[in-house]
Amino acid sequence: MKGSKKHIALAIASFFLLTLVLTGCATSNVPTDIASGKTMKVAFPWSPASLDPHGSNSWEVMRSGTGETLVRLNDQLEPIRWLAKEWKQEDETSWVFKLEEQVNFHNGNAMDANSVKESLLRSLEKNQKANDLLQIEEIEVLTANELKIVTKKPNSALIAHLADPSTIIVDVTTIEDKNTYPASTGAFKIKQFNKDESLLVERNEDYWGEQALLSEVKINYIADGNTRLLALQSGEVDAATDIPIDNISILEKDEKIEVLTAPSLRTHMLLFNMNSPLFEVVNHRKVIDRVIPRGEIVSKVMMGHGTVANSPFSDILPFGKVERNEEKQSIEQLMTQGGWQKNSIGIWEKQGKPFEVTMLSFPQRPELSVMAEIIQGRLVNEGIKVNIRQVENIDDALEKEDWDLSMYSMLTAHTGDPQYFLNVFYRSDSQANVSHYVSNSLDSTVNQLNETTEITSRNQLAVQAQETINADLPQSFIVHPKTVFGVRKEVQGFIPDPIEYYYIHSQIDVHE
Amino acid sequence: MIRFCCERIFQLIVVMFCVSTFTFILLRLSPGDPASILLSMNDVPASEEALTNLRIELGLTESLWSQYVQWLIDVFTGQWGTSYVSKEPVIDELLRRLPATLELATAGLLVMVSITFIMGIGTAIFSNGYLDRLGQFMALLGSSIPSFWLAFILIYIFSVQYGWLPPMGRSNWKNLVLPAVTLGVGMGTVYARVLRANMIELMNQNFVKAAKARGLSKSRILVFQVLKHAFLPIVTMLGTSFAFMLGGSIIIESIFAWPGLGKYIIDAISLRDYPVIQGYVIFASFLFVSIHILVDIIYVLLDPRLRVS
Repeated sequence: MKGSKKHIALAIASFFLLTLVLTGCATSNVPTDIASGKTMKVAFPWSPASLDPHGSNSWEVMRSGTGETLVRLNDQLEPIRWLAKEWKQEDETSWVFKLEEQVNFHNGNAMDANSVKESLLRSLEKNQKANDLLQIEEIEVLTANELKIVTKKPNSALIAHLADPSTIIVDVTTIEDKNTYPASTGAFKIKQFNKDESLLVERNEDYWGEQALLSEVKINYIADGNTRLLALQSGEVDAATDIPIDNISILEKDEKIEVLTAPSLRTHMLLFNMNSPLFEVVNHRKVIDRVIPRGEIVSKVMMGHGTVANSPFSDILPFGKVERNEEKQSIEQLMTQGGWQKNSIGIWEKQGKPFEVTMLSFPQRPELSVMAEIIQGRLVNEGIKVNIRQVENIDDALEKEDWDLSMYSMLTAHTGDPQYFLNVFYRSDSQANVSHYVSNSLDSTVNQLNETTEITSRNQLAVQAQETINADLPQSFIVHPKTVFGVRKEVQGFIPDPIEYYYIHSQIDVHE
Repeated sequence: MIRFCCERIFQLIVVMFCVSTFTFILLRLSPGDPASILLSMNDVPASEEALTNLRIELGLTESLWSQYVQWLIDVFTGQWGTSYVSKEPVIDELLRRLPATLELATAGLLVMVSITFIMGIGTAIFSNGYLDRLGQFMALLGSSIPSFWLAFILIYIFSVQYGWLPPMGRSNWKNLVLPAVTLGVGMGTVYARVLRANMIELMNQNFVKAAKARGLSKSRILVFQVLKHAFLPIVTMLGTSFAFMLGGSIIIESIFAWPGLGKYIIDAISLRDYPVIQGYVIFASFLFVSIHILVDIIYVLLDPRLRVS
């Protein structure tokens, strides 16, 4: 009996060992060998579906440090030279650009006015957003390093919009070639791309600017925020972006890791449906706006990693410093002016109908749902019933469902310029005007902005537009969240940039 | 046997056709405009012109019927449509991710089978002893611990605390260990209890008593008489679990940043990449039905009584 048990135990142990060996053998070795030299490993949340710099994943391509545009944004979010060393506006619609000389693409081909033209034309052909931003009528090659761009109508934001990643300059002959990666001009070039997994970029030895200090950067795509945090803690990656706010306290206790934050150009807001019978009345919008505890939301929901929003644009922008109109009348005064009275249970009602609203929220940004609940609680205390409805696709729900209020989040000035957002989100005839806000005065200000080139005047017009928005209150702006990064202390030169695609640059380094 | 296989293959074709058509209709009825989702991927609003142009480019302005016919043509021409996001043939996108999912499913199955065998046989032999109680506790734990929680605990212990195993990715064999264990532990401990119960029941059967009377050793009886019969119900369970794992373990792949089908399909659903979702449904239904056919065949091979019936 004892002997047979021993045999069974031995058989089980052997089976277990065999299984372990087989489990190990089942894995293939994905060839991601990292060459000798200094390598930095970074974790980003979103993996590009393709490396086409003019496709829908242009941001991710730009983030890899491989792509460059004619213009870039400095730390003041102003457009400065990059592949274009200077430019001059000839008339309302024509601009002449002088390109940097001695610039080669990653495949060794020289970048000149012709290749830049081809690249921009492809961008316009493949990316409708590039069309909307640039509004280009014609591109003319003047000399080997000079280019003339003519816009369909006056587009004063052209220079800032040329910093958009959809306009990355690339040797177009390499994009459709299945045997190679797109050849751009950045400090790093693509070495290996494993879809959904990682992107390995290596130093571009032929770079026209300052040579990269690192020999390679490996970008790991980790969608789950907790896994990004654990990968950083385990040393598997040297830096991670978009750390979930509730994990910051864990990282702060870790001596090997530094927590960095950058103000973002994003705005979390509460939309009013101005087609809803309740919110076509400005006083009702003012009541809701007054109740929102912005300071509490910043400190408790955002854990201090955000700033109170007074307007659609972040206050780090030169045109973002706008005061919010503090309503002087009390909630009671605002409500009673409209004929509302509190009933026996403290709810405002008119002609027997309670003040009851539907608020939409969505799960993709969990902090917005928490904010919705806080606002709901405050409104209930003030006698307004709020029914929160979670929807999977917020844009679809805003278009097709009945709603009064909705949580929303937008990147409002991704090129450091207000023109695109004001045109698309606020113009009375725009379909993306989700609040159904109609204002002739704002339309006229935006038209003026479109035609004004002088920066100070443009900023003034943007402020004027925001003042109109704040007076009419189609939305209540709540918070400008900060982006949180976790960086291991060995990393030098990591700049928490408000622009989400300049994280990897040539002067970033890792000290062993 | 040939007739049996032909019948099952016919069933496979019918099931795949019905499931894919049903999915096509459901997707079109479900909320979400792919053009609007694609254009606002970075939370920058899109213009009406951009939306209209993209809808035309993706064929979304065509009638439902012509979209369906176009999709059927795509399926039969072998490309299964083109992904809205990557602009590449769906079949290529699915096949590119299949090896990762196959690796994970196979490793997960091996862990699951190992646990089932080791714990099932061990606890059956030492029933009501300490090992049996431990097995009972493990089964309770395995079935009640959510897999995402187990995944994070394993990463914390083996990656953050000890640094033995990587927390994510698919660079070498070490990357496979944690996701495979997470995948296999939960079901393995439960199946072990099923195997134990079957074995204990069979050990009291007359044919086992007769074998003992003939002087066969206990290990021989266990392996060649009891285990063979006790394993039959487990085959179905393992088959179903394997099919699920081959379809992509969505949570595990997301947590461990494993570039397989599960993670891919979740992204495709959130971006309303219709051709990818439809292609995946055909692929998953093919897997499920094929594995069930395989299980039926194994059943027939293992149990001669079924061959007669």
